[in-house]
Amino acid sequence: MKIVWTFTLGIAAAAVVLTAAPSFAHHSFAAEFDASKCRDFSGTLTKVEWTNPHGFFFVDVKDTNGTVNNWSFQTYALITLRRAGTSLQLFKDNIGKEVWVRGCEAKNGRPHYAAAGSLKFASDGVLRQMGQLQD
Amino acid sequence: MTRRFHLGVACAAATALVSIQYASPQAQGARYSITVMPPGGPAPRLPDGHIDLSGHWLPNSAGQGVSGRDGVDPAARRQFDPKVTPEAEPSFQPWAAEKIKNMTPVELELAKSSVNCMPRGLPAIWLQNPYSTVIVHTPVMMAQLYEVLNNWRLVYTDGRPAPKDPEPWVHGTSTTHWEGDTLVVNSFGFDERTYVMPTGWFHSDVMKVTERYTRPSKNYLIVQITVDDPKVLTRPWTSAPRRWTLGNGEVYEFYCTNNKELDELGKLKEQESYGK
Repeated sequence: MKIVWTFTLGIAAAAVVLTAAPSFAHHSFAAEFDASKCRDFSGTLTKVEWTNPHGFFFVDVKDTNGTVNNWSFQTYALITLRRAGTSLQLFKDNIGKEVWVRGCEAKNGRPHYAAAGSLKFASDGVLRQMGQLQD
Repeated sequence: MTRRFHLGVACAAATALVSIQYASPQAQGARYSITVMPPGGPAPRLPDGHIDLSGHWLPNSAGQGVSGRDGVDPAARRQFDPKVTPEAEPSFQPWAAEKIKNMTPVELELAKSSVNCMPRGLPAIWLQNPYSTVIVHTPVMMAQLYEVLNNWRLVYTDGRPAPKDPEPWVHGTSTTHWEGDTLVVNSFGFDERTYVMPTGWFHSDVMKVTERYTRPSKNYLIVQITVDDPKVLTRPWTSAPRRWTLGNGEVYEFYCTNNKELDELGKLKEQESYGK
């Protein structure tokens, strides 16, 4: 029974690795962002920069002391967002509304600057991929 | 006779390459919403009878974007299956291997065109480009329009000779010939500031690149690259035959106008220097 479980877990792990493997390791997440400083953020979407090579969106996030900081989150290049069905209009429609973000902080210590892995607008609850939080 | 036989074998192999990877949507199962593209019938031909390479080509086996999307068959994400067509590691000259080994993670990152917004150049445009390429092919010219950085390249197929003293260009200077249904493009005279791969693999001024283009069926473009660079490599390196699939979606603008990474990585590089 144990062997069957080990085998099944092994297959599952291999499947995850194969599925997660990017087509191109053209960009290193680990060089710029800290995988040990990833967390969930909730707040209000304030702005979007629809630019290349990366897009950025900004969120007012209240910390544990009640202080509100404006965080910026880096996304994929716009082409990737567009092909995955995420548009500028979607961000515009959600300015001033609640969002949830999974992101990782910058390695260089710049405050309130992070890479976004996924994003959920409270308005539709759909989880959207914004970037890769691993190499 | 021998040449015809070789061409026949090459065509059969290219067709097999595609058909091996493709399984019907039913066979791929309902668990994936994005699957491997079917071959799509015979490749179109130019008025002169050669294969027409025109199309909007995506660097995967799906014929649509796969990055940042769920429900993608892993086989549809790939340009080649390393189990079927393994790709050897480049064999570097000792000094080149040492140079690459000594690069820090930040230096490696700053050298990437995806980070520094330099043009990919040849051959990287076919080896490390996650975005689409539009090819407009006529009997006398192949125009390659790269989505990344809104970049482009013209490859003349009218048999004109290469200039004797070409300027160093990121895409080099090219001559072409057909070997059956394969368009062979030989290029030299490269700008040394580009990288072959995002692993620190740099090249020298004597690099020569051979591109071999085939279109075994309507939906598939196969591009195979050989890099011959005796200053940097101990022997030529040849890529796996990489698949590009025909898309019909939009081509997007991509000007690099808001690059914050140079500043962010520059700060990290300073921190690395203090640590030494």
